[in-house]
Amino acid sequence: MSLSHFQTEFDKMINREYSSPEVNPLRKDAFLKLLDIGFPTQKWEDWRFTNLSYLKNKSFRISDSQDVPPSVLDVSPYEIDDIDTIIIYNGHYQENLSSVPEGVQLISGIEYFEKQNGKIEFKEHTPFDLLNTAFMDISMCIIVEPNMIVETPVRILFISDGESSIMVNPRVYLDMKESTKLTFIEHHVGDAFSFFQNESIFLSLGPNSIVDHIRIQSNSSGTFNMANLQVNQGTDSHYSFFQFAVGGQLGRTNIHCELEGKGSECDLNGLALLTSAKHLDDNIRVNHIAPNCRSNQSFKSILKDESSGVFNSRTIVQEGAQKSDAKQSNKNLLLSKKAVMNSNPQLEINSDDVKCAHASATGELDEKAIFYLRSRGLDIESSKKMIVRGFALELLEKIKDKNILDYLMNSLQSWLKL
Amino acid sequence: MLKIKELKCSIGDKEILRGINLDVKPGEVHAIMGRNGSGKSTLANVITGKETAQITNGSIIYNNEDLNEKTPEERSLRGIFLSFQYPVAIPGVNITYFLKEAVNAKRRYLGKDELDAATFLRQIKEKLKLVDLDSSFIKRAINDGFSGGEKKRNEILQLLMLEPNLAILDETDSGLDIDALNTIAHGITTAKSPERSFIIITHYPRLLNYVKPDKVHILLKGRIVKSGGPELAQILEEKGYGWV
Repeated sequence: MSLSHFQTEFDKMINREYSSPEVNPLRKDAFLKLLDIGFPTQKWEDWRFTNLSYLKNKSFRISDSQDVPPSVLDVSPYEIDDIDTIIIYNGHYQENLSSVPEGVQLISGIEYFEKQNGKIEFKEHTPFDLLNTAFMDISMCIIVEPNMIVETPVRILFISDGESSIMVNPRVYLDMKESTKLTFIEHHVGDAFSFFQNESIFLSLGPNSIVDHIRIQSNSSGTFNMANLQVNQGTDSHYSFFQFAVGGQLGRTNIHCELEGKGSECDLNGLALLTSAKHLDDNIRVNHIAPNCRSNQSFKSILKDESSGVFNSRTIVQEGAQKSDAKQSNKNLLLSKKAVMNSNPQLEINSDDVKCAHASATGELDEKAIFYLRSRGLDIESSKKMIVRGFALELLEKIKDKNILDYLMNSLQSWLKL
Repeated sequence: MLKIKELKCSIGDKEILRGINLDVKPGEVHAIMGRNGSGKSTLANVITGKETAQITNGSIIYNNEDLNEKTPEERSLRGIFLSFQYPVAIPGVNITYFLKEAVNAKRRYLGKDELDAATFLRQIKEKLKLVDLDSSFIKRAINDGFSGGEKKRNEILQLLMLEPNLAILDETDSGLDIDALNTIAHGITTAKSPERSFIIITHYPRLLNYVKPDKVHILLKGRIVKSGGPELAQILEEKGYGWV
């Protein structure tokens, strides 16, 4: 895939007055690597089912000073009760509209970088990690100091809007020190006609910390969402992730979870509601490095029309990671003959004393269940919707925060009406 | 209320019902007994509108309407209820949500106002007591992880809430212990009224000791070969189907 267009944008990026020149060496290094390996093609094992021609056929430009929000930005449609929100509009941080709760420190990515004396490992697994490093625009870091239990959830609201094809590369660090707790929401919205978002999120969980991470992808159908999540977990930490994907045209979520500390646990969940020709590819790697760790994955997709999905997950139990407990489950509901799901759960076990299981099931609506509901007086459409709703709810109800759950229940309800 | 005339029906190439005649009047309890594979469940399914069985001859007239052209939901709204032999699990759909929708669909059909959440909950809690279940039960997903007894109680709970005119109980007594059978029988007895009719499909006369039938029919190879009073069930218990 040709990267010449990205070259032009890259030159603009490093010569931009307001970008920080100190990161330019990093950017250049990443961009050179990217030029060398190029964007993935379907010949790459991990990209077999995802066609990136969308990216090739469009010329995205970097977000500029002209892409700021209108003087009055209405965020009321995205309101969730009792949370604090950080707003990013087309890659521009809206400081005056943002707030974080007590106990949460918000600093810029550059500041964080300096604080760590430049010692941050990026773990660049795919060309899109490199693209993010080369083009990172808005970057920020959320720090929760030791022993801080943050009750109010923190949300980053990413709004993508406008008529022109913009590319943004946000980068977020979440640095959870020892014995901390936080609910972190990334919420992607907006009506952009054509948009490419390539986000990288680095989550570091200190010993005994707990993070509930909820990712809501509900932006326009002109959006290509690329999410790169890197999670590193310390001893006895607990990470739970829930992705609710209803928007975007083409989406790919890469989740790399490293269980480095003894007794750490991760619980990864995803619910995708796909219509028209939308495509979502969930690519997961869970790495059991330390002993006594537990990982659980439950991913569900409901596919209408000509939509398609991918669940490609690999759980690796390293040598020495004894007493690992790893589960993978992928269940999909095909509501149309043209919808396609590719499900590929894999386990790689290099240790003998472990408990591992995986399951995958893709099917249509259960005729017996439809008849059961119809025999109770519900018409055929209502019966089908009730079963689909139940299929989604079974997973959605894992979300503990009631306000977030209510918000997503409403989203699900509107989707069912489509 | 229900008149079945010369009903024949097939599943695929196989003729399952081979000329059934049945006349159920308001308030009557009819028991249908017979060996496995005699066509009892098929009969229950064609009355409720399951499309797996094709009617090849005869008619099912319910309150002067031919049911043949009616969908399962139309039959239900008109007051036909089936307690399933094998109730299906529907994950994620809790009983409260489902039954409230079902009760309100029926109320809309009858031109009544929908029940608000509080009234509905009050009503369902009363019915729960009748089938000896506590209120946490209705927060569970339909039949998901239910024991055999819970599934059957759930069917009777729905019967009590939907207040049908014709209730068909397809082996509701199978696989129940004595206590569960008592509870189920109590639920059915409560539901009995001069307007409500029952068709009880069963292998055993045990349930019929609690819910006394007006008529007992013996179904054999797709035909009703004998009809009589409650004493017929007793004779069957003593002599077996070989006697027929």
